[in-house]
Amino acid sequence: MTREIAIRINSVSHRFGETDDARGVRALRDASLEIMRGELVCLIGPSGCGKSTLLSIMGGLMTPTAGDVEVLGRRVVAPMPREIAFVFQENALFPWNTVIENVNLGMVFQGVPRAERETRASRALEAVGLTDFAQHYPAQLSGGMRQRAALARALSLETGMLLMDEPFGALDEQTRMILGEDLSVLLSRTDKTIVFVTHSLGEATFLADRVAVFSARPGSIKELIAIDEPHPRKPEFVTSAKFTAIRNRLYALLHEEIRKTMAETEAPARPDSFKREAHR
Amino acid sequence: MTSRTTWTAAALRAWLRRPWLARIGVVVFLLGVWEIAARWLIDPMFISPPSRVFMSLDALLETRGVPAALRVTFWELGIAFVLSVVIGLVIGLPLGLAPFARRSFMPIILLLYGTPQVTILPLFVLYFGIGPASKIAFGVSHGFFPVIVTIVAGVQNIKPILLTSARSMGASRYQILRHIVFPHMIPSFFAGMRLAMTGVLLGVLLAELYVSTAGIGYFTTLFTQSFDPTRLLGLVALLAAMAIVLNEIVRRAEVHFSRWHSE
Amino acid sequence: MNASTERRQRLASRGVQAAFLIVLIALWYVATTRWRVSPLLLPNPVPVLSDFWEVLTTGEFIDDLRVTLSELAAAFVIAACGGLIVGYLVSRSHYRIRVFEPLFAAVYSVPIILFLPLYVLFFGLGPASKIALGASISFFPIALSTIAGFGYVERMLVIAARSMGASDYQLFRYVLVPAALPIILTGMRIGFTVALLSIIGSETIASLAGLGHRIVHLAEAMEMTRMFAYIIFVVAIAAILNALVSALEARVRRAR
Repeated sequence: MTREIAIRINSVSHRFGETDDARGVRALRDASLEIMRGELVCLIGPSGCGKSTLLSIMGGLMTPTAGDVEVLGRRVVAPMPREIAFVFQENALFPWNTVIENVNLGMVFQGVPRAERETRASRALEAVGLTDFAQHYPAQLSGGMRQRAALARALSLETGMLLMDEPFGALDEQTRMILGEDLSVLLSRTDKTIVFVTHSLGEATFLADRVAVFSARPGSIKELIAIDEPHPRKPEFVTSAKFTAIRNRLYALLHEEIRKTMAETEAPARPDSFKREAHR
Repeated sequence: MTSRTTWTAAALRAWLRRPWLARIGVVVFLLGVWEIAARWLIDPMFISPPSRVFMSLDALLETRGVPAALRVTFWELGIAFVLSVVIGLVIGLPLGLAPFARRSFMPIILLLYGTPQVTILPLFVLYFGIGPASKIAFGVSHGFFPVIVTIVAGVQNIKPILLTSARSMGASRYQILRHIVFPHMIPSFFAGMRLAMTGVLLGVLLAELYVSTAGIGYFTTLFTQSFDPTRLLGLVALLAAMAIVLNEIVRRAEVHFSRWHSE
Repeated sequence: MNASTERRQRLASRGVQAAFLIVLIALWYVATTRWRVSPLLLPNPVPVLSDFWEVLTTGEFIDDLRVTLSELAAAFVIAACGGLIVGYLVSRSHYRIRVFEPLFAAVYSVPIILFLPLYVLFFGLGPASKIALGASISFFPIALSTIAGFGYVERMLVIAARSMGASDYQLFRYVLVPAALPIILTGMRIGFTVALLSIIGSETIASLAGLGHRIVHLAEAMEMTRMFAYIIFVVAIAAILNALVSALEARVRRAR
């Protein structure tokens, strides 16, 4: 069975700042990857290795200085709200709107006709288990619930692809475990392609069909590890020998890259890729 | 709650524990001190006890011209406030949305905002006359600055992640303005309105007090020169009440519209 | 956007500001010379500047400045002492804070300049009424910031000091004061600014001397040129005083 290539990343390099600017940062160097439809790929690597940058580039929020990304055969030059939805680590819910208003607004932006919005919204909220909290404001919810709401908003857009940048990064470990299990269940039910950036080895091992391990900055993909375990993954998987072996392998691969990152004497500040784009 | 209240020492102390009650107690105490001092300790030419002031309020209002002056002042405050908000919006919105204009003109605006405007009060009266126009103008010149400053701050404070998120969902420029910039700006706008009201109150009342030939200033001068503390205190009290009511209205509006603002 | 475009934009902004200023002054000049705006409304800038220079060099401003500054000093000192002491006493207990802070805030929200006629009735047109008003207005930001500064010192700091055996005095001197100082300094700076404004304002409305009065006097005599010169002078004095106070605040902050 041949699965089609959902996202093709072709030798993407990216540099922040002008080429003659001494303070410029080379974030990515010749990153290439092919992501198949329906799979969950985790991007993992040391801090500043460019994985978030690559995610932004994949979603059309940034243009790379070299190379390009193709989504379903088309070159990515701008955000593609019908094909790609984002979930960010930082809380991106609009605080003046309730949960359901937030979900609705995403669809307004995408251009979903009014008649469809209600059904999609209730479906999405049900999928993340927030139906009872539709009328709450983000300030009234816990961190985990807020991220669930952000996920619901992304799901309601019914895109083929979901790009998630450390969505559970700000949450405590127990919430992360639960949300991870829920995400796995979601994946088994839909045909979505998910690209998931994380720092957590356990999270990557539990969620991913394939893990792309990044090298230290300037980042490129050092190795790809396949995890052959069907979704939805059970909690027991975490204690299995297969899990431990994969996790150990990730640890070994990453360890030297992390050391390299820490050893950098002159570490230029990592530019916040999102901030740059927003301040037009 | 029992139908008979037992006034034990403990119950009394428990009641005194409530801050709002204690606050009222402080106010009552101060009024009492004022009453005693004005009745028995100080020359009645200089001060009048609150009881007499309160009783003479009707006499004050029967004084020819006082109700009219109060009414005119109230309208001056209202008009100056509305003008301040409108002008503040008209200037503040474009500044907030255009970074280059903001960077160029905000320093000038902040500089003007920081100068002691009271020095040019005589100029205002020279230019606009002793009627309501100068009072309104002076009030507006105090009131529109905070509106501009808060609107610009409100637009600038938007977390970049919200704009990025909207862009990723395909929002157009107009949609971003309407669904993100505007709602985000509302609490700042209302805070600006609260400050505008404070400024307008200061400006209008300063101008009114300065012009001693008409309006409130005429009566304050009259009552001062004729050593009539009763009516003077009454007039000041009424104006203070006006100020409190107006301030409170704007403050409540601000609280109401900023409910989501947890930051 | 990178560094060089940012630099260019900043220069461009400065350019616009300078152009704005130049255009304004040019308009002023043209309005009085070419467009024949009545000198009773807007005096020609050139004689204004020469008057300004004359006022400075002849020292004509000295008497008025002395009156204003002495009123300011007296008002501020009274307000500061009162505000600090009252603020500290209130901050000692949460109950007292909850009772008095809203009271102070409520009174401060009324334009206290309204009480000027009362002070004039009581103290007359001399400096006393100005000082009383200035002190009354300036008291509140100082008291409120003192309450905020002392009242909300991090409990952990107090607990830590007590656990090391600090006495009441030591606690006050080595923990409470340094912790509260930044907020109190800000309050005092605001109090100073507010006192200056109230003094000038009350001199404008009801006074026999002082800078505010001088401007009114010139306005009534329709001496526009000199009045403008004095306005510039007062604005400059206010700017200098505020800058001094800000610098002082920064200096004290660093010293702690």
